Amino acid sequence: MAHLSDGTLRRMIDDPDAISGSDRQHYVDCKDCQARHSGMADDARAVATLLAAPELKVDVASAFKQVQLAPAAKPRFGFSLPILRPASRTMLAGLGAAAVMIALVVTAFANILPLFQPKTVAPVAITVADVQSLQALGDYGTLTWSVNPNPQIVLTADEAKQISGLNVPKVAKLPTGVSNNITYAAMPKAVAVFTFDAKKAEAAAAKTGKALPKLPAGVDGAKLTVTVGPAVIEVFGNLNTKNPSGQDTSGSNSSSGSNNGPSDINLPQLVVAESAAPLVTSTQVTAKQLENYILSMPGISPQLAASLRAIGDPSTTLLIPVPIQYATSSKVTVQGVQGVALGDNTGAGAGVIWIKNGKVFAVAGFLKQSEVLTIANGLK
Amino acid sequence: MTSREEAFETLFKNEYARVAGIANRVLADPHEAEDVAQEVFINFHRLHSASAQFAPAWLHRAAAHTALNRLRGRRRREKRELAQAPEEAARTVDPQRMLEVNEDRRLVRAALARMAPKPASVLVLRASGLSYAEVAQALGVGTGQIGTLLRRAEAALRKEVTRGTSI
Repeated sequence: MAHLSDGTLRRMIDDPDAISGSDRQHYVDCKDCQARHSGMADDARAVATLLAAPELKVDVASAFKQVQLAPAAKPRFGFSLPILRPASRTMLAGLGAAAVMIALVVTAFANILPLFQPKTVAPVAITVADVQSLQALGDYGTLTWSVNPNPQIVLTADEAKQISGLNVPKVAKLPTGVSNNITYAAMPKAVAVFTFDAKKAEAAAAKTGKALPKLPAGVDGAKLTVTVGPAVIEVFGNLNTKNPSGQDTSGSNSSSGSNNGPSDINLPQLVVAESAAPLVTSTQVTAKQLENYILSMPGISPQLAASLRAIGDPSTTLLIPVPIQYATSSKVTVQGVQGVALGDNTGAGAGVIWIKNGKVFAVAGFLKQSEVLTIANGLK
Repeated sequence: MTSREEAFETLFKNEYARVAGIANRVLADPHEAEDVAQEVFINFHRLHSASAQFAPAWLHRAAAHTALNRLRGRRRREKRELAQAPEEAARTVDPQRMLEVNEDRRLVRAALARMAPKPASVLVLRASGLSYAEVAQALGVGTGQIGTLLRRAEAALRKEVTRGTSI
């Protein structure tokens, strides 16, 4: 029989009964294991002495009063922004802008497609002006949540699974230098209903002073039901030192990363996300009507219009808007399907997005494109 | 008081001593440990519902990490300890012994600060009286891994302490 593991021997020191009968018999017969156990017990005793601390007497009631005096801000989504080194700020601004644009445009286009369930992804180059024009769509109706988004930060993959119902993707091998500290975010399904309102649209147009096109006939009152999530996000790296759900960079799997001070702690190094593909249904509006309408809006560049028209089947393609000032894109094959690889213009960050089996996956980080692709292909 | 506030108060009363204890185990400074514990609870309250199943595990892990992060602000801390040591020594029956205790604590905490967060957390959580299952929950690993993590962490701490004394 093989010798007892270090873990088993160590646990025996704290809990002599936490051992199986066969392991106990082995221990009784094995001089090697007994010697290892004895060495470990010495270490355990020494460490207990080393970690002795001065006596602590707490006054819970007065401590609670102190805590109640703290300002009661309540951000719903648990990440506080990390402290940024000056060199990181430009790039983060770029990535942040890209993320916002992606969210805006995907939502905008998801909203306009009556039966939208993407099965593939395609990049579309956009400009800030495009985004500003598309934002106006939000003023053309009322958005309400029939199932509110409820993202939560949790400690373990199991908890993330409980919340989202999704198996958390596992990264086969982290590149050197990426921390193995993981923060999980998980969100159950959320459902939004957007109701087109001709009067609101007219008022919005009047407010901007621009001659916005009128809604197509029959669209007033049309409801689009948008289902997003469930989703899970894994953030590898160490968030703000002030954020206790993050950790210090010394958890890095690099051989040198064991003594970094708080000033070294900031941006997540790698983010892996999985979400059910968004689903949009509509009561009375057709995809063609709305596509034509969007493309007629002032401010939409001819390039964007041409790109959108070139999409084969908009109801099954998730458009990945690529802000041309900040990022580049290319088509790649990931896990046997078509994906979109993104890179920021500084070359410091990269990402890839793809859809497989009805799920949208994304991997992004401050890594080389090849490293991101390797992680994406190895995701389980 | 809303049910959210009531749940938070109950959680606070149940866990405060333990959370402060974890921080004290890291910092060896009751005053600063309470400061950390309060910061941890405030952050938790801002982010999560106190009725969340993961609340105690979150608090335990946060206490260890926040205290370890504070410990890493070594220069500031060492300065204060050096200033504090003679005062504490003067209050004891045996000033020489007190100085030695302070020096030992300083060396151990410096060694703890040099360790990676996971092994350092395993040590302080276990030394603070958490069960194997509780330590596992706090760190998001399986209970079966704790023995191995603890063993490695203890060996690493002894090595670090030896390294610190030989510099």
